[in-house]
Amino acid sequence: MLKGHFPLFLVLVIVLLALLLPLLLPWDYEQIDWDAVRAPAFSGSHIFGTDEIGRDRLARLAAGTRITLMVAIAAALVSLIVGIAWGATAGWIGGRVDEAMMRIVDGLYALPFMFIVILLMVVFGRSILLVFVGIGLVEWLTMARVVRGQVMALKQRPFILAAEAAGTPSTAIMLRHILPNIAGVALAYLMLTVPQVVMVESFLSFLGLGVQEPLTSLGILVKEGADDMDMTPLGLALPGGLLVMILVCLTIEGERLRDRYS
Amino acid sequence: MSLYEIHNMAVTIAGNRLVEDVSLIVEAGQCTAIIGASGSGKSLTCLSPFGLTPAEVAGSMILDGLDLAGADAAQISDVRRRLTGFIFQQPLTALTPHLTVGAQLQEATTQAGAARPSRRELVRQLERVGLSRADERLDQFPHRLSGGERQRVMIAAAIAHDPKLLVADEPTSALDASLRAEIMTLLDQLRAEQGLGLLLVSHDLASVEGHADQLVVMERGRVVESGCASKLIASPGEDYTARLIAATPRLQEPAPALSRPGEPLLETRDLGVAFDRPGWRRGKIKALADASIMVRQCESLAIVGGSGSGKSTLGRAIAGIGPVTAGEILWQGTPLPERRQRSLDMRRLIQPVFQDPVASLDPQWQVQDIVTEPLCNLRSDLTGAERNEMARQSLSAVDLPEEFLARIPASLSGGQAQRVAIARAIIAAPQLLVLDEATSELDPLVGAEILKLLARLQGENGLSLLFITHDIAAARRLCHRIAVMEEGRIVETGEMQDVIDHPRHPVTQKLIAVS
Repeated sequence: MLKGHFPLFLVLVIVLLALLLPLLLPWDYEQIDWDAVRAPAFSGSHIFGTDEIGRDRLARLAAGTRITLMVAIAAALVSLIVGIAWGATAGWIGGRVDEAMMRIVDGLYALPFMFIVILLMVVFGRSILLVFVGIGLVEWLTMARVVRGQVMALKQRPFILAAEAAGTPSTAIMLRHILPNIAGVALAYLMLTVPQVVMVESFLSFLGLGVQEPLTSLGILVKEGADDMDMTPLGLALPGGLLVMILVCLTIEGERLRDRYS
Repeated sequence: MSLYEIHNMAVTIAGNRLVEDVSLIVEAGQCTAIIGASGSGKSLTCLSPFGLTPAEVAGSMILDGLDLAGADAAQISDVRRRLTGFIFQQPLTALTPHLTVGAQLQEATTQAGAARPSRRELVRQLERVGLSRADERLDQFPHRLSGGERQRVMIAAAIAHDPKLLVADEPTSALDASLRAEIMTLLDQLRAEQGLGLLLVSHDLASVEGHADQLVVMERGRVVESGCASKLIASPGEDYTARLIAATPRLQEPAPALSRPGEPLLETRDLGVAFDRPGWRRGKIKALADASIMVRQCESLAIVGGSGSGKSTLGRAIAGIGPVTAGEILWQGTPLPERRQRSLDMRRLIQPVFQDPVASLDPQWQVQDIVTEPLCNLRSDLTGAERNEMARQSLSAVDLPEEFLARIPASLSGGQAQRVAIARAIIAAPQLLVLDEATSELDPLVGAEILKLLARLQGENGLSLLFITHDIAAARRLCHRIAVMEEGRIVETGEMQDVIDHPRHPVTQKLIAVS
């Protein structure tokens, strides 16, 4: 099944490693090895060495990937749910309601999102939940537009008219005819939203607004690595490379799915 | 020597031999028509020699002395530029939307190496294909033209470089009957004037009859029979050709035996439908005005008209799946409410069947769920087992075996999908079926079978039918009475045979003349 889907395979391997490594490694991501501060790679039990306060790099990399992907998937799901609900309602009702709802989306598009997410963080304090919600609320707009377009096209299809003539109530038409038929497209855009959210989350964490220490994410690791770049380039190269790899792989797979469904 | 000769041609795509052992001849100034059901390989036969399909071609195809089989890509491209013109089925998608008609014609003229044409020359090209106000048209974009006008522009572009052979792939299938006849007449005229050879592909025998000199009948990638068109139609040698000819509705054929109608069932009084203009613009578009029709029990009424005449709008209003803005619909004397206010009992009485059989089935559902959908809402007293039993009966009523219950729409052919759609429509025992172009997208053989099926269902269950179509000859096989529509109005109604024998309104006269 994974034949020809090397990028997806790579992402799955990364996810699996991120989940399993904590069980296999002798070191915890927040545990400090006082005997090996700034240890180089392959020294003792530290495969990639330790950072400037003696924490195992590989363990931190696994923990950071876990958090980043968790935030990304959760936020993408929030955007999926809000986007489908909004877009499907607008497309199904149509007319003036549709006009009004889509103008709201246009308005939100025009707002500087990063600024609003930063404001949310500042006002409500930093919490991982807020990162989920904030990013998810930002990312649903594209989903809403795509879903609305699909619903409007489906609404005119004869099988929907036949269902109406068969007495199927509107809610059942929505749930049983329309939603299953837009699932493919929604899935494709979900795949494309995940890397976008990874970007936003890493950026927030890089600025120090995302996840809080001692929890870590790829963004924080990149920032730490960048601060210490001249001493140990490995500290930047590892999380940076991983981040790029995840982004590229997910985008390739997402675009493939999108091309298939639209 | 003939203009274009194909001998023993075979077409292969990705290892599958799709066309085999095809031979045909096109003479200069004459028309050779390839007839066959969809999937019979007729388009591949005419397009593949010119490198317009991803197929590999074997055999000999000699155009104007050059064998295309031995030619390389550059030579074939040169042949396409100089010697041949192409016309396709969809006139809108075959024209570039962002270029004006004039720009496209100019491109078509200069691609063969001719000098840039003057404006007068372009006007002359448009006049040659019978477009009025040609000078004005040059500056218009394709979306401003009607379907028939676009097809004329396509033809003008295809013959702009004076080709010797014109290849037309279903040139009239997307057009309604009167436009169809006009385009065919235009092609005849061009053949006579310019000595063009025409290779025509069609699934519809009726549209090429009287125009084609040679006929090639294809089935499943092979030539069933070929020869002089008039002889072949008068005395077909093969069974398949005979069935194809019998399936094609004709106005001259003997009147069919129809069931006896009963009491009036449904009536509309001055029905009107107006749509808001799109967006925030003011004003209304009147799609239907003052439509009054009546259908009796066990009777079929044909609603006939060109595209955009409002016939589908009328059908949808009656079936309760489209808006009504004026007038009323009476069911046995009592008014039926509008779209969303109809009760389930009222919905059960009227069921629609649509033109595109595949699009009328939810692609994600199994046939079993599709067919039983009306029961779930309209007959909530039934148990699951009873529903499944009724689904089986319904499928057998439309001559489909029980195994189809587990199939999905993507695995059905057009005719099978239309049978499933009819099974769904009749499962809750309705009294009126609204058939919106239910046979026009099907191959003639399949369409004729669906017509027979409908007539049988009418006889068995006393169904009334509202048969919406642009094809008056097909309607005659099924319907007692006819209502002719144009521009949202009913212009003539009457008994089917009376109207055909003595049409009063010019629209009706034209429809009958072209059938």
